[in-house]
Amino acid sequence: MEILWIIVLLGYAVCVAQSIFALTTKRPVMRKTALVALALALGAHTSWLVIRGIRTGRCPLVGTQEMCAFLSWGLVLSTLIAYRWYHATALKAFIFPIVLVLAAIAAISPDAADQTQEFSNTLQSFLLPAHVGLLLLAYASFFVSFGAGVMYIIQERELKHKRFGTIFYRLPSLDTCDAISSRSMAIGFVFMTLGIVGGLWYSYSRYHIYWQAGPLEIFSVVTWLLYLIIIQSRINAGWGGRAAALASILSFIIVICSLVGVHYLGHAF
Amino acid sequence: MNIILVGLSHKTAPLEMRERLAFGESLLSDALARLIDKELLDEGLIVSTCNRVELIASTPSGADQGLDCLADFLSDFHHLPPNTLNGHVYKHADASAIKHLFRVASSLDSMIVGESQILGQVKEAYQHAIDAGTIGRVLSQLMHRTLSVAKRIRTETGVAQNPVSVSSVAVELAKKIFQDLSDKTVLLVGAGEMGELAARSLIDAGAKKLIVTNRSADRAEEIAKKYSGGAVDFESFYSVLPSADIVLCSTGAPEHVIRRAETQRALKPRKKGPVLFIDISVPRNIDPGVADLENAFLFDVDDLDSVVQTNIRERQTEAARAESIIDFEVQNFVQQLRALDIGPSVIEVKELLSQIVTSEFRRNRKRLGDLSPEQETAIENVLIPALVNKLSHPMIVHLRNAASDGKPAQTVDDLRKMIRID
Repeated sequence: MEILWIIVLLGYAVCVAQSIFALTTKRPVMRKTALVALALALGAHTSWLVIRGIRTGRCPLVGTQEMCAFLSWGLVLSTLIAYRWYHATALKAFIFPIVLVLAAIAAISPDAADQTQEFSNTLQSFLLPAHVGLLLLAYASFFVSFGAGVMYIIQERELKHKRFGTIFYRLPSLDTCDAISSRSMAIGFVFMTLGIVGGLWYSYSRYHIYWQAGPLEIFSVVTWLLYLIIIQSRINAGWGGRAAALASILSFIIVICSLVGVHYLGHAF
Repeated sequence: MNIILVGLSHKTAPLEMRERLAFGESLLSDALARLIDKELLDEGLIVSTCNRVELIASTPSGADQGLDCLADFLSDFHHLPPNTLNGHVYKHADASAIKHLFRVASSLDSMIVGESQILGQVKEAYQHAIDAGTIGRVLSQLMHRTLSVAKRIRTETGVAQNPVSVSSVAVELAKKIFQDLSDKTVLLVGAGEMGELAARSLIDAGAKKLIVTNRSADRAEEIAKKYSGGAVDFESFYSVLPSADIVLCSTGAPEHVIRRAETQRALKPRKKGPVLFIDISVPRNIDPGVADLENAFLFDVDDLDSVVQTNIRERQTEAARAESIIDFEVQNFVQQLRALDIGPSVIEVKELLSQIVTSEFRRNRKRLGDLSPEQETAIENVLIPALVNKLSHPMIVHLRNAASDGKPAQTVDDLRKMIRID
């Protein structure tokens, strides 16, 4: 394993431990340590992606290792942005365990640096990474929306059952959870729309056909519609509260299940 | 140099006595000026609130005398016979006085531990004393440290973290649901005193609008006017329920005023997310079944009170942590004060040595033969200060050691004799 991955994994592991610990104890502990660990890990993580890109001469978005590395990087970034906007430290406890798992998968995956992509023109060499990158960022945003939805449901339970324990104090308010969830879903939706457009364009430029009706394409459009309906209900019907939180959780679970399903189905084709 | 403190608080004196001994703002500058007039006191400060009066001073002539002087001042100033205060005032000197002041400013000695007013009052008292010119080297150091210790305790422990009154708990719960109250509407059902108090806390916390409903419409109008809100008819308050985010209920009715079925129907068109119901009436006025409605959160008096009780216990545990921080800080400050005490002696020693060396140089100037003006200046500006520093260094070290052992006075005297200051 490369030294960069060791720094990344150790750093994120410290963050995961600290954020979960902070969620269950009254006094914030090791906040500075976790901050330094996060800065080091994110630095190493970004460096790995950049070095990888320079070494291979393409966007590091090919194969399991690079995809996991990019997805976890996107997740860290979205969590930081959500923190910047809403100061919800608790979100880390829900997102970073997955970041750590994805980073670990990237770290132990076989190196696929020699995998190359053949493009017949420069437009294609731009469109495919843009398509993959945007979709990964969309999933990262949807995951943040999911995490915020989970926080909403937990906080709602604490309030309904009148349990004013540590978790109650550590989790943000219902409105904040709702705002993080809806905003990150909207951002994810924009990424997804652009990603799908990029994909269609790429398909046309390479195969001269927009729509191949493959399982992955059908799945993408269904997911896109699903999120469109949720966002539309939120905006037009003023949908909020528990139902909206459940929607962001369920839609993400559906997306992940079908993504896994499509992956195996794709192999079967 | 001693720091002394004489005072009385809600723990030692009844309200009647505290009232008589208070120093109102108009009396303060006069009192400070008269306090320092006393020969025994160098610097002085008066903290006077509804719960306590504290006189803090520094005295060069022994703690006991100074304390008596402060206590006499307290009774004289308020024209009370000298013995009236016996048993009601406490007297502290040095470490114990510093500790008391740290505890007071950190709100560990307050009626409600952790309340935030006292720190502001101490700051104000300090400012008054600065304006009156009764703060010198010792008290300024003491006050700076006091304020920083109080701040440290507020940030490092949880003494001030959780609310301990029913109204503030209601605000906290509202903030745990809505985060920002600035676009929220409060519906107050029943215009009793408790209800108004809770509504006012929510308005103070930023709530946008207050709607009041009451069986007697006049009272509803009155309160609505006071908080620039609106009043609605008691019979038709369900019609405004969908626009309310927080419903505060406090009527004297013996039965449920807000019932489940009507509430469910009223909330149906509402799509704005959660609604907070707070029932501060006994017997309860909100049907407990309302809590089962989606996006509705209901808290009654017992729920709020249980939070208050938990928070009080929490503050008490945190207060124990705060006490150990205070002990540590007192020790630190006492050390610093001792170093401060030898400060003038250090300067004195250096000046005297410098005088001796300079006068010897001048006396023997002729025997040194021809010196250029540059050489002469170099001797005065470089050689003499270097000599003084070299010679005084062991003495200063000796003084510092004596100071941290707590016995600087004897050493200063000895040094004075050695180099014949006296």
